[in-house]
Amino acid sequence: MIELKNIEKYYANKGVKSYILRHVSTEIKAGEFVSIMGPSGAGKSTLLNILGMLEEPTYGEYQFMGEDITSLNERKRIDLYRNHIGFVFQAYHLIDEMTVAENIEAPLLYKKIGGSERKSRVADVLDRFNMVAKKDLFPNQLSGGQQQLVGIARALVAQPSIILADEPTGNLQSAQALQIMELFKKLNEEEGITIVQVTHSEVNAGYGSRILHLLDGVIKEDLKVNQTV
Amino acid sequence: MFRINFKIALRNLLKNKAFAAINVIGLALGLCSFVLLLLYIQFEKSYDRWDPELEQVYQVREKHHFGSRDNKADWQITNDSRVAALLKKDIPQFKYTTRIKGAHDCSVRTTSAEPVSMSGFRYSDSNFFKVFPYKFLLGDRTTAFSNLNSVVLKEHTALKLFGTSEVLGKDLKILGYVGDKGVVYKVTGVVEDPVCPESVDFGAIVYDGAQNQDPENLGRTSYCEVYVLSEKGIDLGLLNLTIHKSYLNFKKSFPDFDPKVNEKIKDHGLKILPIGEVHANPPFKEGWVDQIKSVGALSLFLLVVSIINFVNLATAKSVQRAKEVGVKKVLGASRKSLTWQFLIEAAFLSFAALFLSIVFVELLLPFFNSHFDLELSLWHNREIFMIGLELLAILVIVTIMAGIYPALVLSSYRPVEVLKGSYTGSFKGSKLRYGLVIVQFVITVTFMICMGIMMQQGHFIHHKNLGFDRGRLINLPLNYNETFAQRLKKIPGVQYVGTTTQVMGNVFNVDEEGKYKQQIIHLNMVTVSMETLAALGVQLKTGRLFSREYQQDTLNSVVLNESAAKLFGGNCIGEQYSKKSWDNKEYRFKIIGVIRDYHNQGFDKTVLPTVYKVTQQGGSASTNNLLVRLNVSDMRLVIKQIEKEWRILYPDNQMTYVSVEDVFKKELKTNDAFIEMIACFSFVSVFISLMGLFALSAFVISGKTKELAIRKVLGASNIQILNLLSRSFLYLVFAANLVGWPLAYIFASQWLSGFAYRVDITAGPFFITAGGSLLIALLTVGSQAGKAAVSNPVKALKYE
Repeated sequence: MIELKNIEKYYANKGVKSYILRHVSTEIKAGEFVSIMGPSGAGKSTLLNILGMLEEPTYGEYQFMGEDITSLNERKRIDLYRNHIGFVFQAYHLIDEMTVAENIEAPLLYKKIGGSERKSRVADVLDRFNMVAKKDLFPNQLSGGQQQLVGIARALVAQPSIILADEPTGNLQSAQALQIMELFKKLNEEEGITIVQVTHSEVNAGYGSRILHLLDGVIKEDLKVNQTV
Repeated sequence: MFRINFKIALRNLLKNKAFAAINVIGLALGLCSFVLLLLYIQFEKSYDRWDPELEQVYQVREKHHFGSRDNKADWQITNDSRVAALLKKDIPQFKYTTRIKGAHDCSVRTTSAEPVSMSGFRYSDSNFFKVFPYKFLLGDRTTAFSNLNSVVLKEHTALKLFGTSEVLGKDLKILGYVGDKGVVYKVTGVVEDPVCPESVDFGAIVYDGAQNQDPENLGRTSYCEVYVLSEKGIDLGLLNLTIHKSYLNFKKSFPDFDPKVNEKIKDHGLKILPIGEVHANPPFKEGWVDQIKSVGALSLFLLVVSIINFVNLATAKSVQRAKEVGVKKVLGASRKSLTWQFLIEAAFLSFAALFLSIVFVELLLPFFNSHFDLELSLWHNREIFMIGLELLAILVIVTIMAGIYPALVLSSYRPVEVLKGSYTGSFKGSKLRYGLVIVQFVITVTFMICMGIMMQQGHFIHHKNLGFDRGRLINLPLNYNETFAQRLKKIPGVQYVGTTTQVMGNVFNVDEEGKYKQQIIHLNMVTVSMETLAALGVQLKTGRLFSREYQQDTLNSVVLNESAAKLFGGNCIGEQYSKKSWDNKEYRFKIIGVIRDYHNQGFDKTVLPTVYKVTQQGGSASTNNLLVRLNVSDMRLVIKQIEKEWRILYPDNQMTYVSVEDVFKKELKTNDAFIEMIACFSFVSVFISLMGLFALSAFVISGKTKELAIRKVLGASNIQILNLLSRSFLYLVFAANLVGWPLAYIFASQWLSGFAYRVDITAGPFFITAGGSLLIALLTVGSQAGKAAVSNPVKALKYE
């Protein structure tokens, strides 16, 4: 599904290149649940941003579902956002002026999906996440865990093939974090959605099927997770 | 999609109620002045558009100096009546020409009723309704003036006189001036009141046959307005050349024709003007198009100030919307759709502002109309559709001007920047915003200084010594009648009675060419009676005023004003000068006194060198002024007595009078109204700018919460924080002052140059404005900064 070849990212400052990523080459197959780990400043988020096409690599080749991303124009990229990629953020990033239901509905609007199907899909997702009672609340009326659930619901409603999550539990208490991770695992196993997450937590990484260890922009380890851990 | 964006916009507004209100109210105020201006222009443009046939009607303009304010030639509306026949003879394209006298007040008696004072009764020749396409409700357009002593009424006149418009064939007696015996006229027609204002305004057209003839004596001139009905499709420029040529030929037939006329060609001429352009081109003064320019610029400035507010607030607020933009972009929104979203938001706000401004306009209109003597309306306007379109255009323009920049800034946010952690954001475009605040304050400061200087000038002319005593002086619309004057003088409380051709409110200037020591001297000639100068209370400088004790005073004595005396070399008592009349007789006049200049027409022109004569030798004019000087403080009783005398002598006329004090106030009214308008603009612009500064400083400070907290933790005192926050804004206001000063100086001196009598520009208004603007800016920013300064830094530093 995703193929990275020799990805590099650096910022040039007064002629000195400071590298964020170096020689990153890897492949992520459909249905995988990958956790990117590493200390602060290792380049985890940058890698995720490149995967999500929010940032462009300085150098290297990136193929998403067989398409070369580096040569993609804006319109195609927006199409990919609409149809294949769901984002989940550490700070949830719900739109404050929209209710829970409206937040979840938003990506469907951009996908130009008809009104009745939108309603049924939103109702469906609300039901699955047990949030029907909260659908008319605004984000600031929810707890952090609930907000992140809405964030995931929003990412899922457009039926993406991959979810990119940047420290999805970073702002949450451990019980809530556990809940979110269980959800990810379930989505991955039951619906076959590919998930890539950035995390600091070994426990969270344990929910995935594979761990990429990043250190100073270089992949140090690529481990299969023993599911029994 | 639209619905959800609309909801977001609405929720955003509700979340920032104060800012939304500032935004909308500011813009509404700016738009309000603009809409008023629009209505005014609409009104002025509507003159003489009540019938398509009017496109073939032209007004004839003769260039001469008879009766002009400053004895200089201008393209006047009143012409020698002979040009009507001349044009009919020489220009084959003209179907009809008509002569009509100016409107004046007269007394009208219907069979039963008391005499009614009417204005707008005008005497014309038989062609008037052949030229002007008035719609006859009763009677016939072609035959209305077949018989002498006919009158055609406008509907409103008929209603006023008879209470009905069914008045065909009824008789009415018209007394043209006070003391007139009167003539009975038959109503031969009633015409509709046109829906738009007219340059050739009248209440009734009176036909007595007199206007059909021109004076036989070439030395006499009957002045009247002349209008022509022409064929379609004439070349105005070419035709005017022909007319001019034929006019010069015609002038040569006069015995007093000056052979030098070719040299003075600039002072003579004849042309025609389409009736639709008459209102925009009045003689002696600026047309409304020129007058409106300054006001138009002002309201444009005000609109700019409010649009700047809008842009400033919208971009400052953009930080709050950054996350929304980022999230929407990763959900698949394109930049174009986001730009549209924010533009539509701006349109939504502009629409709200426009709506509010229309509410303001509706509330203001009655006051505005009565204050500036106008008849503007919005909902009942005939051109409501046109105005609606113009408002729509304004909406689009304002939306684009106010919305495009914020929309572009907002839609340009890159998600990766705004979605990383919790984005507090660097201020995008803050330089531009500061620049805009400076522009805003430059305009405000300029307004304020100009207002200050104008108020000084206003105070100056209100309190200037006019050179005569305007209190307890009344003016009756009468010619001098010795019997009446003597009877008035017997009333206790009446001090002097006199007539003059020149008093404030009714000035008639006549140019007199005198010869003194072989030199030609041009004077403005005023005919008075014995007591007039005493009645006016003028200040004698040397010599004496007219007196009955001196026989020759009714023959050849003259009094000069100071300006005239200067032409004679200062001390000129006892000197003589000569003057030739039109039939070449020579008269000699002896100077017996010099008075100080006194004002009788505003302050924009200097007082003309003037000679005052009791004698009628060498020409005079009757202008219906009878001045009565009272010497008691309670004028009402005396005026009642005067009215009693009036009734005895003139039973067919209602008594009317004006007090010269009121006339003086009226003279100043236009100017006062202008100053008040500037004051209004200034306050609104100050208000908008302060609102803008308030909102902007609030945003800047909210963006600096973390910086302030860190500074406090590092040991900054509250005063230091306050100083830090206010300083940059004070620099802005100070810079605006520096730019505003020269601008205000230029504008104010331009305006002052329109006055012959004016104040000097002093430093006062500049320093007061600078101090004032800095102080209120400090208070505005300080109220925000104060809050930030005393807040607990822990709150700001807790989250990252």
